[in-house]
Amino acid sequence: MPVRHSYDSMSALQKDAARPLEIGRANEHDVKIRWNDGTEVVYPARFLRLECPCAVCVDELTGRRIVLPATISDDVHPAAIERVGHYAIQIYWSDGHNSGIYTWEHLRALSKRIPQAG
Amino acid sequence: MVNQEQVLDALRVVVDPDLHRDIVSLGFVQDLKVADSRVAFTLKLTTPACPVKDQLKQEAEDAVKQLDGVEAVSVEMAAEVRPSAGATGKGMIPGVKNVIPIASGKGGVGKSTVAANLAVALSQSGAKVGLLDADVYGPSIPTIMGITELPKGVGQKIQPVEAHGLPVISSGFFIRPDQAVVWRGPMLAKMVEQLLGGVEWGELDYLIIDLPPGTGDVQLTLCQRIPLTGAVIVTTPQPVAINIAEKAIIMFQQLKTPVLGVIENMSYWESRKTGEREYIFGSGGADRISEKWQFPVLGKIPLATTVRKTSDSGRPIVLEEPDSPAAVALTDVTKSLAAQISIHNMQAEAEDLVKITF
Repeated sequence: MPVRHSYDSMSALQKDAARPLEIGRANEHDVKIRWNDGTEVVYPARFLRLECPCAVCVDELTGRRIVLPATISDDVHPAAIERVGHYAIQIYWSDGHNSGIYTWEHLRALSKRIPQAG
Repeated sequence: MVNQEQVLDALRVVVDPDLHRDIVSLGFVQDLKVADSRVAFTLKLTTPACPVKDQLKQEAEDAVKQLDGVEAVSVEMAAEVRPSAGATGKGMIPGVKNVIPIASGKGGVGKSTVAANLAVALSQSGAKVGLLDADVYGPSIPTIMGITELPKGVGQKIQPVEAHGLPVISSGFFIRPDQAVVWRGPMLAKMVEQLLGGVEWGELDYLIIDLPPGTGDVQLTLCQRIPLTGAVIVTTPQPVAINIAEKAIIMFQQLKTPVLGVIENMSYWESRKTGEREYIFGSGGADRISEKWQFPVLGKIPLATTVRKTSDSGRPIVLEEPDSPAAVALTDVTKSLAAQISIHNMQAEAEDLVKITF
């Protein structure tokens, strides 16, 4: 007999996790994410660029940030954003950098560290 | 005299046991024609390998028959596989609706044999199926599918080889038999890239991918490169296999790739004389991880000499000895898998995938 498995009891673990419903613009450069729990978070473009998780920007073993803020221009911004599988986005930056895969977890964690404008 | 509304109302009592919705609101009922006392319609399911196909047909027929004024009911069965939610997104292979990797933690659990038989059984049900052998270290699909020729190039793309009615590409086609693949990550990624994007697959309902065992570069590239419908885990009941299967499950979870279910291969051996079952590799392994990780056991396949023989001779057992216990088990697994794919796609549709408007 083939196995029955119900639609509603499925992948409970995956359902609970925070995931974005919409990723768009807050203004000309900054990224706005609407999450499935109803919250909306605005990520300043340069902040996101400095938090790039790729191996060029972060030491893989120590987690130490390698990218020097001084080398990143003030008006850096995403040129394009694309979805990666079911779990992340890839940002193509105006400075040509594009190797960072921003997972939902990473973006979620970053939302707590956004510098206040001023 | 009945009208269309009355027929549709009567059909609303028929519920798809997998999708938990009635067949009218699911949009399964099509081409409804009512002429005097005769009613005719088509039931368009989400997969031709639907495990409850006959049951739904019967229930629909009965529901309409009991209406006053209906003398004859004729139900036509059809199917249209729905694409995975990400199928139209970036990186997806054009024309391919669902991509399903078959994975294992440990090697030697019969993953390739299961993958080949799943692909053939799905194709026999009427679906359009492709088979991609991404097991670069030990490509065995050409042997199992009895392929001796090599693929041809058409323009910039590679034309798959046809075997038992389905298009097949194996990484083995591109590696000389006397060579071993001793590659670093970037080369493996390049190979996967080529196998996905460089092949003329045509229109497919399902693309089954035979992965190498383990949690390495091929798996990683695949999950990052295209939105997969969901992975299938093959394991034997033995604790050493189960423990490593869990690592594969954890990998898919990290990469947010759904796991559609687990298949327990070499589950038991059944004596043809006495019908007695011997659990050579222990039992209950698949049930344990199914319970722990909350996905279904798609089925259990017995150990049988004929499985080994048919694989070695290039004619998968679901074709060669379709009535043997192992072939019946494999066909049931195929139906369960097809149902899971439909369920996941419906769920993803309902959850609507992240919209990127930047």
